[in-house]
Amino acid sequence: MTLSPHDPITLIAIGVVAAVAAILGSMLGLGGGVFLVPILTLFFGIDPKFAVGASAVVVVTNSVVGSTNHLRIRFTNPRLAMLLQIATAAGAIAGALYGVVADPRVIYGVFGGVLIYAAVSMVIRRERSVSAPPIDTPDPLRLGAAFRDPAIGSDVGYIPGNAGWGMGVGVGAGVISGMLGVGGGVVMVPAMNLLMRVPVKAAVGTSTFMVGITSVATAFVFYSQGFIDPTLVVPAIVGVFLGGQIGSRLTRRIRAQRLSLLFSLILLYLGVSLLFRALEIPAPWQA
Amino acid sequence: MNHQTADEPGMEHPEVTATGLLAARTERLSPLYDAAIWTFTWGFRLGAALLLLGIVMALVKQEPLGREADPFAEVIGQVRAGHASGVIDLAILWFMFTPVVTVIVVAATFWRLGDRRYALLSLVVLAILGASIALALNR
Repeated sequence: MTLSPHDPITLIAIGVVAAVAAILGSMLGLGGGVFLVPILTLFFGIDPKFAVGASAVVVVTNSVVGSTNHLRIRFTNPRLAMLLQIATAAGAIAGALYGVVADPRVIYGVFGGVLIYAAVSMVIRRERSVSAPPIDTPDPLRLGAAFRDPAIGSDVGYIPGNAGWGMGVGVGAGVISGMLGVGGGVVMVPAMNLLMRVPVKAAVGTSTFMVGITSVATAFVFYSQGFIDPTLVVPAIVGVFLGGQIGSRLTRRIRAQRLSLLFSLILLYLGVSLLFRALEIPAPWQA
Repeated sequence: MNHQTADEPGMEHPEVTATGLLAARTERLSPLYDAAIWTFTWGFRLGAALLLLGIVMALVKQEPLGREADPFAEVIGQVRAGHASGVIDLAILWFMFTPVVTVIVVAATFWRLGDRRYALLSLVVLAILGASIALALNR
């Protein structure tokens, strides 16, 4: 680690970076981990395993705070969450067990790929559309639910489909979450929406609830190997908490969709930088 | 509306819409939503209080933070000895255990509401989390 031990300036800088990561993550609905790990590794030179461990704890805390609002307004579907959680939690343990022994170049490479995927999917997200979920189909798993959508002022009912496929994707999301310390929402929200035909608001609410539980599995594995560093975790938790509050207020005032191209470019920049790091080649803009 | 089941309110009213039935089904889970909100809220409040206490103790006693969270067994000893790093490690562990407790609460509430299937699924999730906790205990 190149981080100066107990240097107050570094601790404050990590807190500020975590706050910025949380603001961006909150506005994009991606969670802070997607930005936190690349920034800690690329700009602070922190060992990726300690960055992933810190991120996992931060994602847990963020989910604990963020879930209450989604639960209150019934955007969270507890049955769907528990069904998919079996897949994501198991995947997270497998991913974390690999992550703690993996060559850092593998972590950089996979993370770079995930960020580039997130950047591209953000650009094309507006092009996609999902037809209204059918609510007259059989529901043998009793996964159907409803919530009041404040935007239209009425109840929205839905019955998730393709539960098997959703669980399959959940395993992959869990593995990514376990390896990289991100929540997995970057994979699960589109999967629930596009594959299972869950309305976006319910997908986000259910995912926010799930990512905390998924990341707990990751965090305990990294804790078991001594990769939870309080000098990273404490400023990151404080920064992410404050940033999340700012981000949620900004989201109400600014239409994040308008900034999607800028955010995509940031994700692309971080993703390509990590790929260069994985290949141990200096990025042209860092040379 | 072939997804409706006999235990749902509104069965006797044919004019009830499918969305209305789903909304009624969701509202039957109100005790679960309330219990999860309560667990998350107090889990965060107590964890934040512990974290704040640890930070204040570290600042007052000029005690540097550890670079690695201590194993479970040592954390309590550190707290008893009045070390800020022990309190901060306890806060981190508190945050990590909050979702685990929430899964227990969710499983218990599904059971109490008569939804055995999802109570058991929640217990499977708990068992998976238990595997990662067992790894942490064997550190």
